[in-house]
Amino acid sequence: MTSMAARVLRPAILLILGLIWLVPVYLLVVNAAKPAARYASDQVWRPVGEFALFDNIQEAWELAGLADAVTSTLIYSVVAPALAVLIGAAIGFGIVALRLRHGFFWFVLVFGGTVFPLQMILMPLFVGYVEAEIYDSRLGMLAIYTAITLPFSALVMRNFLGGIAHQVFEAAVMDGATTWRIFWRIYLPMSTSALVAVFILQATFVWNDLLLGLVLSQSDEVRPLMTALTSLQNTYGGSQLVTVLAGGLLVSLPTVVLFLSTQRIFSRGLNLGQF
Amino acid sequence: MRLRYSGAVAALAASALVLAACGGDGDDEAAEAPGTVAFYTDKAAWEPQFLEVSDVSESSLGLGLDFTGYSDADQYSAFIRQAFRTDEKPELFTWHTGSELEDLVAEGLVAPTTDIWQAAIDNGDVPEAMREYFTVGEDQYCVPMNAAYWVMYYNKAIFDEHGLAEPTSWAELMTAADTLLAAGVTPFYETNILFSFVWFQTLLAGTDPELYNALSSGEASYTDPGVVEVMNQWRGMLEAGYFGDPGDQTTPQDQLKNGTVAMINFGTFLSGQLNSVDMVSGTDYDFFIIPNVNAELPQTSLIFETGPMCTAEEAENRDTALQYADWWMSEEAQTAWANARGDVSFNPKALVNDEQLAALNEEASAESYLLLERYFEATPVPVLAAALDGFSAFVTNPGDPMPILETIQAEADAYWSSQG
Amino acid sequence: MSGLAVAAPEQTPEHPTAASRRRRRGSYRWSARAFSLPAVLVVAVLLYLPFLWTTWISFTEYNGLGSPSWVGLDNYRDMFADPNFTTSLRNTLIWVVGTITVPVSLGLLIAVLSHGMRFGSWFRLPFLIPYAISGVAVGVVWRFVLQNGGGLSQALDALGLPGADSRWLLDAPMNTLVMIGAAAWQQTGVNALLFVIGLQSIPREPIEAAKLDGASGWRMFRHMHWPMLRPLTTVVVGLSLVASLKTFDIIWVMTKGGPGRNSETLAVTMYEETFVTSAYGAGSAVAVFLTVVTFIAAITYLRRQLSTERTV
Repeated sequence: MTSMAARVLRPAILLILGLIWLVPVYLLVVNAAKPAARYASDQVWRPVGEFALFDNIQEAWELAGLADAVTSTLIYSVVAPALAVLIGAAIGFGIVALRLRHGFFWFVLVFGGTVFPLQMILMPLFVGYVEAEIYDSRLGMLAIYTAITLPFSALVMRNFLGGIAHQVFEAAVMDGATTWRIFWRIYLPMSTSALVAVFILQATFVWNDLLLGLVLSQSDEVRPLMTALTSLQNTYGGSQLVTVLAGGLLVSLPTVVLFLSTQRIFSRGLNLGQF
Repeated sequence: MRLRYSGAVAALAASALVLAACGGDGDDEAAEAPGTVAFYTDKAAWEPQFLEVSDVSESSLGLGLDFTGYSDADQYSAFIRQAFRTDEKPELFTWHTGSELEDLVAEGLVAPTTDIWQAAIDNGDVPEAMREYFTVGEDQYCVPMNAAYWVMYYNKAIFDEHGLAEPTSWAELMTAADTLLAAGVTPFYETNILFSFVWFQTLLAGTDPELYNALSSGEASYTDPGVVEVMNQWRGMLEAGYFGDPGDQTTPQDQLKNGTVAMINFGTFLSGQLNSVDMVSGTDYDFFIIPNVNAELPQTSLIFETGPMCTAEEAENRDTALQYADWWMSEEAQTAWANARGDVSFNPKALVNDEQLAALNEEASAESYLLLERYFEATPVPVLAAALDGFSAFVTNPGDPMPILETIQAEADAYWSSQG
Repeated sequence: MSGLAVAAPEQTPEHPTAASRRRRRGSYRWSARAFSLPAVLVVAVLLYLPFLWTTWISFTEYNGLGSPSWVGLDNYRDMFADPNFTTSLRNTLIWVVGTITVPVSLGLLIAVLSHGMRFGSWFRLPFLIPYAISGVAVGVVWRFVLQNGGGLSQALDALGLPGADSRWLLDAPMNTLVMIGAAAWQQTGVNALLFVIGLQSIPREPIEAAKLDGASGWRMFRHMHWPMLRPLTTVVVGLSLVASLKTFDIIWVMTKGGPGRNSETLAVTMYEETFVTSAYGAGSAVAVFLTVVTFIAAITYLRRQLSTERTV
C-alpha cells in the first residue's frame, strides 16, 4: 500500500517542483527567442509568433566576438577542475587512509581557501602575476582556477573517502600494494561518482567565471568567454536585452550538455557495498 | 619502494601542471605588433565604435588601438590603479575628471598634455572652456575622450498626441508634465541605480548654479537652505507622480520607445542607444535643453560631461600613446568618433551627421549657456558614493530630506578635512 | 585492479592491534605528506599569500595609488562605529539562516525522493539547469521577474493573487528574502547532487537487512540513511555556511546593496569600500572581519562534525 502511494507520490512531487524550477528557464528561452522589436517588459510571459532565437544568438556571437574565447575557456574548464579533483583526492587520501599527522589542521588549511572573499585577492594576485610574468597567460589562468576549485574538491573528496572502510586499505597493504597503487587503483575507482560530480560542478564554475578572467588576462587568446559576453551588457549602454539573453543561453549550452551527459553516472547505482 | 612511489606522486602532480601549461601558449610576451597602442576602457560596450575610429587612425596615423574592455567600472578603476605598480602600465586608458584624476596626478602617474592642449586650442579643435576640467595645478593632463550634454529627450509621437511643444521655460515644462499626467502618461523617466543624482543636478543647477559649484568644491554645505529647498521641490514632484517607477529596470531607450515615459533627462549618448532600438532622430524622438527653474538667471545652465583619455607617465610606449591622444582631438578623429557613437563631440569642427546633435554642438558654445560639470565628476568619490545611496533611497521612498543631506554632509566634512 | 578489489571488508581482521596501527601510521608518514603537499602548496601560494597582503592593507590608509600609510586599528574602529555595518551584519545573518534552511533541505528532499527511482537522475535535471546557466543570463532573468510590475507581479495579477504591487527589490527586508529565493533556485540542484553521491555510497547490505526487518519510509530514512549521509551533510552545510556568509554576486546584480544600502551584506560593504570609493584600507578591514567570522564558523562546525565521524 505505502509503496504504491510512494510510487506515485515521489515522481509527482519531483515533477511539480521541477516545473516550478523551470519557470525562470522558460522566461529565459521565450524572451531570448523574441525579435528585439517585439520584446516588451510587461509581456514577458507571452511568446510572440516570430521565432528569432537563432538570429539573436548569431548577433550575440558576432557582437561579443565569442569565437576567440571558446578554445581557451574550454582548456581552463577541463584541465583546472581535473587537476583540482586529483589534488583534492590526494590530500583526502593522505588524511583519511594514510592518517596524515595533524590531518584536521592541514585539511582546514586547504578548505580555508574558500573562506577568503575572492574580490579581495584579485588585486594582489594581479600584481603578483605581473611580477611572476604569468599575467595574461594560460598557465596563470590554469593555476588560479585550480587553486580556487581545490578547497571544494578537497572537502568533498576527504569526506567521501572517509566513508570507505579502512579495512579496504589494510587488505590492500596485506596484498603488498604500494600506497600509490592503492590510491590510483582502489580509492579513485571507488569514488567515480564523487570525482565526476566535483569535476562537473567545478568545470561549470570555471566556465562561468567572470571575475578572475577580467583581472588576470587581457589578450583575446587568453581571456575567457564570460568577459566577452558581459561586454554586451554595460552601464554605458549595450545590446538589446534579447541579445544578452540569447548570448547567455548560448554559452550555457555546453554546461547543460555536460550535466546531461554525466547523468548516467549518478543513476547507475554505483555504491561502495559492491566492492 | 613506498618512498619511491610517493616521490612519483609529487613528480606526477608537478608534471601534470607543466603539461597543462603546455596546452596553452603561455605567451605572456604578447609583444604589441608595431603600430598599436594598448587601450583600456570600462566602456566595453563601445568596442565596435572604438574599432571604427581605430580603422581611421590606422590609415591616417599608422597606429591602431589594441582594445581591452571592462564591463564593470569599479573593477576597472581598481585594475588601472594597481597596474601602475606593475610593468604593465597602461598606455592609453579612459578615466574620470575631478577627484579621480587628481588622485593620479598627486602621485605623478599620468603624463602631462599641456603642449597638446595648447596646440589643440590654437587650432580650434577644442573650446578653451574645456581646459579647466583637465587642469590640475599648472598643467593639463589627458585629453577628452568624449563629451556629452545633459538634455531632455522626448517621444515625439506622445508630444504630438497631447498637443505639446518643446517647453521654453520651467513653467511650460511643468504644464506639459501636468498635461501628460492628466492623460495618464508618466512624464519623466526615473532610475535609482547609477543615475539617481540626475534630477538633483538639474534642479539645483537650474535654481542656483553658484550653489551647485560651491557644493562640489566643498564651500557650501548639503544642509544649506538652498539645497533643502531643491530637495523639497524634488520631493513634491516625486509625490505628484511625475516620475516613472524606480523599480522598473527596463532600459531608458525601451521606456521612451514604448511610451512608458514621455521624457528622459539624459546625456546625449542616449541618442546612440535610441538609434539602436530603431527610433529615428527628429522623427520618433528629439530633445530640448532643459529650461532653468529660476527664470531670473542670466544664462541657461547646461550640464556637460567629459571623460578623459590618459597615458601613464612611465608607460613603455608613452610617446606613441601621446601621439595617439593628440590625433584623437583632431577634426578627423572626432568626426569619425561622433558619428560612430551617434553623439556630439567636444570639437566644434567635427562634422556631426545627426542634425539635432549638430545643432546642439554649435549652440552649446553660445554665450547664453552656462556649462556646468556633471555632478558625477564634480563631486569627490566618497561624497558621491554617499549621495548616490541617499538619493536612491529618496526616490524610492520620498520623505524628509534632512537625514539624507546630513549623512552626505558628514561624508563631505570627512573628505574636505582630509584634503587639508 | 580486480585482484585488489576483491579484498572485501569482511576478509580483513576487524581490530588491528594498537601497536600495529601505530607502526603503520609511522611508516606512512612520508607518503601521507607527499599526497597532501600539492594541495597545501597550491592553496598557500595562490590564496593565502594574496590575502596576507589584504590583511596588511587593513591596517593602513590606501587609495590604490602610491604607498599605504600605517593607521593601526583605525579602520576597524571606524567599521564598528558605522551604522551601516549593523545593517550589513543583520542582512548577512538573514542570508546564513535562509541559505542553510531552504536550499539544503530542498536539496535533501529531492535527493531522497529521486534516489533509487527509475529515471531519478532525469527528475533531478531541472534543478541542475539553473547552476549551469551563466550568471549574466540569470541576473537578467531574475531582474525582469522581480522588478516592479515584472514577471512575478504579472503572474500574481493574472492569477488573482495578492502582492502584485509589492516592490520586491526596493523594500527591506523583502528584497533580501526574495534574493535568497533566487539564490536557492540556483543552489538547490548542487546540494541535491551532493546528497545523491552520499546516498550512493551507503552500503546495500544494512539497508537490505533493515528492509527485511520491516523498516521503510520515514523510519528507514531516519535510522539508516540519515546517519550514513553524515559525511555529505557536513559537506553541504559547511559549503552553504561559507557561501552564505560571503554572499555577493546576486545582490550586486540585483540591487547593488540598495536602495539606500538596505540590502547590503558584509561582502557588499567590503566591495563598495574597496572598489567604489577606493578606500582599500576600510574595505580590507571588512574583508578581514568577514574572513575571521567565516573561518571560526566553518572550523567550529567542521570540528564538531568530523571529530564525531566514525573513522573505522
